[in-house]
Amino acid sequence: MSNPLMLLQHCWLYAGFELRRLWQTRPGLMTLAATAVIWALLFRYAIVPAADLIASRGFVNLISSLFGNAGLQQLSSWPTPELAVYWFFSLLLLPLFSLFFTANQLCSDLERGTLRFLSLRSSRSSIVLGRFAGQMLVQASLILLTLLATLVLSAWRAGGLSADMLNAMAVIFVNLLLVLLPFTALMSVFSALVRTAKLAVSLAIVSLGLCFGLLSWFIFYFPDFLFLLGYLPGTQVIQLLALHGWQTLQHAALPLGQSVVLLALATLAVKRRAL
Amino acid sequence: MSSLIRCDGLTKQFGSKTALQQVSFELQQGDTAALIGPNGAGKTTLFSILCGYLPATGGQAQLLGHRAGSSALFGRIGALPQDAQFDPGFSIGEQLQFYGRLQGLSSKAAVAETARVLTLVGLAAEAGHKAAALSHGMRKRAAIAQAFIGRPELVLLDEPTAGLDPANALAIRQLISQLSGQVSFLISSHNIFELEQLCNKVLYLDKGLLQASETAAVQSDAPHYLTLQLEQESSDSLLQAIKLLPGLISVQQPQKKQLVLRVQRDLADSFDISLLQCLAAHGWRYRSLTQGQTLEQKLFDIA
Repeated sequence: MSNPLMLLQHCWLYAGFELRRLWQTRPGLMTLAATAVIWALLFRYAIVPAADLIASRGFVNLISSLFGNAGLQQLSSWPTPELAVYWFFSLLLLPLFSLFFTANQLCSDLERGTLRFLSLRSSRSSIVLGRFAGQMLVQASLILLTLLATLVLSAWRAGGLSADMLNAMAVIFVNLLLVLLPFTALMSVFSALVRTAKLAVSLAIVSLGLCFGLLSWFIFYFPDFLFLLGYLPGTQVIQLLALHGWQTLQHAALPLGQSVVLLALATLAVKRRAL
Repeated sequence: MSSLIRCDGLTKQFGSKTALQQVSFELQQGDTAALIGPNGAGKTTLFSILCGYLPATGGQAQLLGHRAGSSALFGRIGALPQDAQFDPGFSIGEQLQFYGRLQGLSSKAAVAETARVLTLVGLAAEAGHKAAALSHGMRKRAAIAQAFIGRPELVLLDEPTAGLDPANALAIRQLISQLSGQVSFLISSHNIFELEQLCNKVLYLDKGLLQASETAAVQSDAPHYLTLQLEQESSDSLLQAIKLLPGLISVQQPQKKQLVLRVQRDLADSFDISLLQCLAAHGWRYRSLTQGQTLEQKLFDIA
């Protein structure tokens, strides 16, 4: 079997195994339960009263102050208020949750020595890429579940399902995955460097904060380099909130590029380290 | 005969500490080799380099004609790494099936292979249990089982019987002995007596240097040594009587009940009969009389 084919096959097997971890193991079911609780709260206090929320003065002021009137207008262009609110909160919250959910891609296996069993049967690249793909599959399935719940609510409120709603659902799903790609890849890097998930999360938060702080300080003295801030993971989120529909994909290249670079770093880190 | 493992000038440094220094050796297909040495000798470092867990600082290591860690070796070598543990989220059976799938087996074949390897180590009934539900010995046997998935050509075992009770240790030794015709082994262990029973080649490492590379052929072709294990402690009268036997060059007493006799090669064939007659005539009971020195005696004489 050629190496690229073997790489793909192994990545697929690892990704499938991670998906099984979500649905068939106790830690996976705990993740599902935590997601359910968070989204139940969001449903109860944001998505169910979406129409009222969007019309409320506090929410309008918040959106206007962040994105101006254009942002508010774009948010109201989504086919239903429920999907608009889902889009707004998901874009802001999911990257943060992703740091926590995907922190244990490699560190526990490194600590336990399980990677020694795996590296006798597959390349280190396929372990990194397969685990990353697995985490993306897990997040995709969680997003799909919550998005379907939102769609059902929207359809019930609107008195039926429309093509616009399905299209909006697809736009939201694709964009959320794109937003989560670099954060998941970032956790691939940190989980390859440390031996606990907790440390990986701490390191990721500190590194992102430090990067942002140092860049801001640098830009204060050299304002011509303001564009550099746009290369940090997640910076396109603010721009996405001011858009809707498939025009949001104009910001897809950045997270894809960031993910490729971060995954290359993670692969390099795992290849260079002793197991 | 094709080379199983070939190391040329293998060196590994951790900062200023040299763990392996210019280690060179070659093992042939069908060999069951022992890797022995004191703590800190570099056994696990050598083992880790051979498995591809650790890059060498210098030199080369090839297994079955491929660089250590190469993708060409996936499924062709199996290993029991020291201290490696299973994923606590899945049962042993699920994990072994997954390893089988990674080695290119179909789902059905992976299930059958898992059952086969677990049966080999006597854990067929434990396939559905997670590692945390198994005893230390069972976990070790499950880890040995994973090394045999897909019938690899070469199996590297790091301390395979450490932590096992005598019955299970014996079962593992029997398993290695039973498979040694079909599979080549490299076994790292502190248990010299175990290795003596299992291996036809011995690599003795100390302070990162390969101090000796012995083959069983040399050991079995050394009839000028006899090791006599007595029922009781030896006495001066026994030693005096043995010293009078024709062909004896020297006698050493490594332990109270053990004598190592060096005999002239041309008289070696008749010497053991003379010795047994001498013991019988004086009523001295013995437990065993073996040709050659024990591996321990050979290695520590050499060392």
